[in-house]
Amino acid sequence: MKESPYWNPRHETMPRDQIEALQVRKLKNLVAWTERQVPWHAARLKAAGVTADSIRSLKDLRRIPLMTRDEWMQAQLEKPPFGPLLAAPEETAIRYHLTSGTTGRIPLQVLDSMKDWEWIAEMWCYGFWGFGVRPADIVFFAFSYGTFVGFWGAHYACEKIGCLVLPGGNMTTEARVKQILSMKATVVCSTPTYALRMAQEAKSIGVDLAGSPVKRLILSGEPAGSIPATKRLIEEEWGAKAADTAGMTEVGTIMIFECAQQPGGTHIIEDHYIEEVVDPVTGDPVGYGELGERLITSFGRGMIPVLRYRTRDLVVRVPATACTCGRTFDIYEGGIRGRVDDMKLVRGTNVYPRAVESIVREFKEIDEFRIHLYTADGRQDEIEVLVEIPDRDGVNADRILGELATSLSQAHEGLRFGVKKVENGSLPRFELKAKRLQDDRIVIGTAGEPRVTA
Amino acid sequence: MKNAMGLELSDSERTLVECYQGLVRVLQESKDLAPFERRNALKAVAALWQVVNGLDLDPGNIYEIGA
Repeated sequence: MKESPYWNPRHETMPRDQIEALQVRKLKNLVAWTERQVPWHAARLKAAGVTADSIRSLKDLRRIPLMTRDEWMQAQLEKPPFGPLLAAPEETAIRYHLTSGTTGRIPLQVLDSMKDWEWIAEMWCYGFWGFGVRPADIVFFAFSYGTFVGFWGAHYACEKIGCLVLPGGNMTTEARVKQILSMKATVVCSTPTYALRMAQEAKSIGVDLAGSPVKRLILSGEPAGSIPATKRLIEEEWGAKAADTAGMTEVGTIMIFECAQQPGGTHIIEDHYIEEVVDPVTGDPVGYGELGERLITSFGRGMIPVLRYRTRDLVVRVPATACTCGRTFDIYEGGIRGRVDDMKLVRGTNVYPRAVESIVREFKEIDEFRIHLYTADGRQDEIEVLVEIPDRDGVNADRILGELATSLSQAHEGLRFGVKKVENGSLPRFELKAKRLQDDRIVIGTAGEPRVTA
Repeated sequence: MKNAMGLELSDSERTLVECYQGLVRVLQESKDLAPFERRNALKAVAALWQVVNGLDLDPGNIYEIGA
């Protein structure tokens, strides 16, 4: 029998009307479960006049109140440590994790039961199998294996698939590169930033990664996995294909993955989630091809029901037909485009870190960079990009600095960018979510009051 | 056996579903299982739940049996 390219062939190729029927049925079940088990949610649903019986189509989803991270945090503060959000006794949990904390005051803390934890791996299986990972593969995880959920589910997914798993926690970058080679890993999992970091390290110790057995990279944790220039650079340095995925601790696992066709975006796992895209200000739905904020409703983790959660992620949804893989799951073109709160306004121009990165990555000679915002003379916002350009034969750093400044300015309505070369190794390196933007601007007219508070 | 979408399951699929249902029943009803029996059966149920869910049998949540 021919091997399926899909993890769940029936669901992944289901006609659109059947996907929607499946979602409505699961939504009804989810609302019924939540009403019964979580008084906190039940009160909100009741106030909005929502009952399981009243769910008849996907339009009814919009009657369910939105849930925010602030509400979740507040609920945790009022009833520590998990808030009044658990739908099952804590004793049934086998895992504890918390958010990595790129935003927010306190991390969100979550629990998973045995069945939920297995489901978390199941979602990663859609992604790994869909990108061509098979039992014969040897998979290396460049991951710290802590309380941040990160690649935990992916690790168990690979065990489920039957791969040989190499857990690369608590290792130096050099040791990781050496183990990838010595164990003949065929798949490497890391953040996009760390994939580049390992490539740098390999060069510095004289290793040719492009000649290694690595054929696939599975990227997660940052939007950069779908930035074409960054992805191209990673693929060139590794001589391998790279796939983007994205997940969140709030649901415990991934909700989108890139298939082997690499359509320039990520399929939504629509048999396990309902994803909506809305205007972040008005909350109104936006259509295919329009930028908006994604909301997630998850059918997976029963222990902590998630209904219409505001993710703050910016996405552009396009129909499944944008890909030739045969899946009927819609796509987020360009993956996660950034965060609603990522955007910086500099002298009237919108600046998105992702857009800056996509330009910086066009210059392969740049090893690392940082975006720095500051207030000059106490009265004018300035933006500069600090770059590391190692001295190599034939590399003209002055030319690169000039061209980069021009490209950045042209892409930002003529906004002036300072571009400075800094000492090699002086900028921070990241293993998990990279934080390359530093905002030191002050409130103009004050003696130095920070505009952005930590 | 038909799933919630009205599709008939294959013989192999039906066998997997029956296996899941049998394990859940044993875990609900048997009070005398040894630790190695109960905990391994729970792991199997957690995995088979994914199959039953993926086949649209709407297995619900099974926290009451410890999974």
